[in-house]
Amino acid sequence: MDALVAQHLLNWLVLGSIYTLVALGFSLLFGVLDVIHFSHGDVSMAAPFVALAVIQAVTVTLVPDGGTATLILAILAATLVVGLFGVLVDWLVIRRFRAAPAMMALVATVALGTVVRELIRTLYPQGSNPKPFPALTTEVLRLGEVAVPVFSLIVIFVSVATVAALFWLLNRTPVGLRIRAVAEDRAVARLMAIRPDRIFAITFFIASAIGAVGAVFFASHAGVVRFDFGVQLGLIGFSAAVIGGLGSMQGAILGSLLIAGVDTTVQMTIPDGASYRLVFIFALVILVLVLKPSGVLGKPVFEKV
Amino acid sequence: MTRSALQVTNLSIRFGGLVAVADVDLTLNPSEVLCIIGPNGAGKSTLFNLISGIYRPSSGKVELDGRDITGWPAHRIAAAGIARTFQSSRLFNDLTLVDNVVIGMHTRTRSGVLDALLRPRKARAELTEAAERATELIRSISPHLYARRHMLAGALPQADRRRLEIARALASEPKVIMLDEPSSGMDDRDTDALMADVRRVMAERPGLSFLIIEHDMRLVAALPDRVAVIDYGRKIADGQFAEVRLMPRVQEAYLGQKAAQHA
Amino acid sequence: MANHELSLAQPRPATGPDLAIVAGVQLGGAALLGAFLLGEKTAVVVALLAVMGAIFALLQLRPGLEERIVSAFRAQRRPALALGVGIVLAYPFFMQGSSYALHLLVIALLYSVLALALNFQLGSANIPNFATGASYGIGAYTSALLALNFGVSFWLTLPVAAVVATIFGFLLGFPSMRTRESYLALVTIAFGIVVHQLLNNFSWTGGPNGLVGIPAPTIFGHSFAQPIEVLGFRLPSQANFYYLSAALVALSILSAKRLHDSRVGLAWNALRADPLAARCQGIDVVWYKMLAFGVDAFLAAFAGTIYAFYVSYISPDNFTFLVSVTIMTMVIVGGMDNTLGVILGAFLLTLLPEKLRIFADYRLLFVGVIVILFLILRPQGLFPQRPRHYGGPQ
Repeated sequence: MDALVAQHLLNWLVLGSIYTLVALGFSLLFGVLDVIHFSHGDVSMAAPFVALAVIQAVTVTLVPDGGTATLILAILAATLVVGLFGVLVDWLVIRRFRAAPAMMALVATVALGTVVRELIRTLYPQGSNPKPFPALTTEVLRLGEVAVPVFSLIVIFVSVATVAALFWLLNRTPVGLRIRAVAEDRAVARLMAIRPDRIFAITFFIASAIGAVGAVFFASHAGVVRFDFGVQLGLIGFSAAVIGGLGSMQGAILGSLLIAGVDTTVQMTIPDGASYRLVFIFALVILVLVLKPSGVLGKPVFEKV
Repeated sequence: MTRSALQVTNLSIRFGGLVAVADVDLTLNPSEVLCIIGPNGAGKSTLFNLISGIYRPSSGKVELDGRDITGWPAHRIAAAGIARTFQSSRLFNDLTLVDNVVIGMHTRTRSGVLDALLRPRKARAELTEAAERATELIRSISPHLYARRHMLAGALPQADRRRLEIARALASEPKVIMLDEPSSGMDDRDTDALMADVRRVMAERPGLSFLIIEHDMRLVAALPDRVAVIDYGRKIADGQFAEVRLMPRVQEAYLGQKAAQHA
Repeated sequence: MANHELSLAQPRPATGPDLAIVAGVQLGGAALLGAFLLGEKTAVVVALLAVMGAIFALLQLRPGLEERIVSAFRAQRRPALALGVGIVLAYPFFMQGSSYALHLLVIALLYSVLALALNFQLGSANIPNFATGASYGIGAYTSALLALNFGVSFWLTLPVAAVVATIFGFLLGFPSMRTRESYLALVTIAFGIVVHQLLNNFSWTGGPNGLVGIPAPTIFGHSFAQPIEVLGFRLPSQANFYYLSAALVALSILSAKRLHDSRVGLAWNALRADPLAARCQGIDVVWYKMLAFGVDAFLAAFAGTIYAFYVSYISPDNFTFLVSVTIMTMVIVGGMDNTLGVILGAFLLTLLPEKLRIFADYRLLFVGVIVILFLILRPQGLFPQRPRHYGGPQ
């Protein structure tokens, strides 16, 4: 029984970590740019494909069986490429909606999501089919009765490290200070000789790179990846950020853990839980927003009159 | 003895630890103009937001014509007979001037969805009649606005925006109109016209009262029957402008303590 | 163009040019659509798209042209209406018996209804709703279940499904009491997903396989599965549903117009522009928001019922989040709060992917790119909102 509970806890933390990595991007972009980047999930989901392409390239040209080293190289490359892809996506499309009503940017990024998905599908060889994605490691630690996959530990560790790095960056570095200044008030930041456009690009890079790590873990966790996996991952990440309170980093983490909690609990306890998980996740989203209209940690909106 | 149009008793609101309005009493008689003055951030606009139902008071009471309206939602308070303008005028920018004023008549018109769908003749007649009255109202406020009545409100210059907001407030046939700094952004000539507007409107509508937040001392000296002074969320004086302006507390509030001692 | 402003104030000139403009625009539009529907060669389709692009470029560069056309239609309302109805009635006869062209028309008309439904919310009142697809699905499933399990006739399921969907619509509108903007958008997204997932999981909705064998409606003994034969012409069976959908579009346009030109439409517009100022005019913002949800669901359910009986087979995948997104895109591309624009948006976004099948693998990519370009280049939509005109001379 204890072993089962421990297993459950571990699953919860793994999923929570993956969702957090995606939700952070939504919350960061909303906090800094006031934009809902609906295609964030799709942009992030480009990462596993970049990683697969890198693995392919390395195994063909350099070492036939690179193993873990190749995989790590591929993930780092994917993180970098997808980070830059995020910047490109902003530069090509999203920045044109800075002054537009929120709804316009929302619909534009929804369309952008389609474009990104279709690009993955058409550019990657046989992109319509699911692709097996290698596991980082299949090793399992035995702690008494509990089997702990090393992969789970890696996911949790990397996520915690990423979150810590992000907090450090935002709160302890000059760049972070500028990002927070722009988030607070763009016009004033400009007066302080901060160039918001550069800060926006940096923010997009950070958000997309973190999302990329999340998407790679997601693919590795599932063992498979398909061009349209970004839709669901994006929706869940977005939901986590919103129920936590858009713009709040702590909120994104809390929201992710909440959703992951419901996700794992439903899958473990309800017969046929796997097919009902989305029902429960999104029912939770509705419930939280009805009770806390600005999310759990979101600032209540006071109407300025 | 006549009943007061608006009676505010012990009204307070706290935001977290901050008491923005504390134990304010106000009486506004029918056909009276009461000006509320006070330094920036004293809580004047917050008081308006409490009376018009945008904020819920933490304690205290608001009565309109003897009816307790404390804590009512804003739309019911508007329907009960309190109309208002905003410090940064809030018009419906993407609609025409006529539309803006017709929306002001929302509580004086009745058609609902079913009327609109199933009895279109009746619904349209009501709206056409409202549009005619709105046009007349705009004409009576200013021929200049009348000439632009089919333009979008967002295209109006500042002084015209304030006028249109007043027209929209009048459209609901209220008992009390609250104007939040109506003269801001106006030059002397516009302000004179504004005062003339208020006097004319009051002459045409017996019983109508005005509650006005104002900074322009020229207007405060000339227009209102009475002046109330708010500082740090509290009412510190209430009476004739000539008397109130001489009170040491009022001078302190406006000029700062030191200056008042030297004065 | 400058003296055009003046001409509005002067007495109207002769009606001849007005009539010519009305007839030209309507017949030209119908001919263009027809050519597009029947065009099979890639070159023809692309050329027609170029013509449409050119027309919009012209309208963009010469706003006076649009004004002239609108004033002509306003001056000749009755003839314009008569001609429009005539064209709609006669249209199937010009489709060369192509059931594919008629099928595309039916789908485009149904999406027009959905887009008009959403327009009440998104266009009039600026309430994001990503659940129109769900209301569409609730309508379709309600009527299909009634017909399959209880043998209820199509004509009776129409209103019942609409009422059921409206109740759900009001329920969905309930959270709008406190939640706003992006948060409300997420509530509707979540609602849409919950509905889709439940349809996918319940056994009584047929699960992922959906419901099969929904019987074709009949009217006066004529089954909608039968071709129509008039005056020696033989129209494919799709023509039945074409006329039905066209009637529903007409009803939607009429409702849209009546609501827009009423106190309700004004209240929606007020809360779109400034919800707080709207409250201070005595508008019960929560009620009007919920009302918009209800009206949206009501019309969407009609479309759902017709769709279910038309294709006779529905599954959850007809009513996904992406369907809702498509409907939303139609409204925004067409032009918020402009009936004609919204319908045009629906036609364009239904027909474009179909006609771009020649680009097979790349068509969704193209549609996505076109939508983004549209939002950047013409954010107000094909035909933006127009100021209200009240009765009487102005």
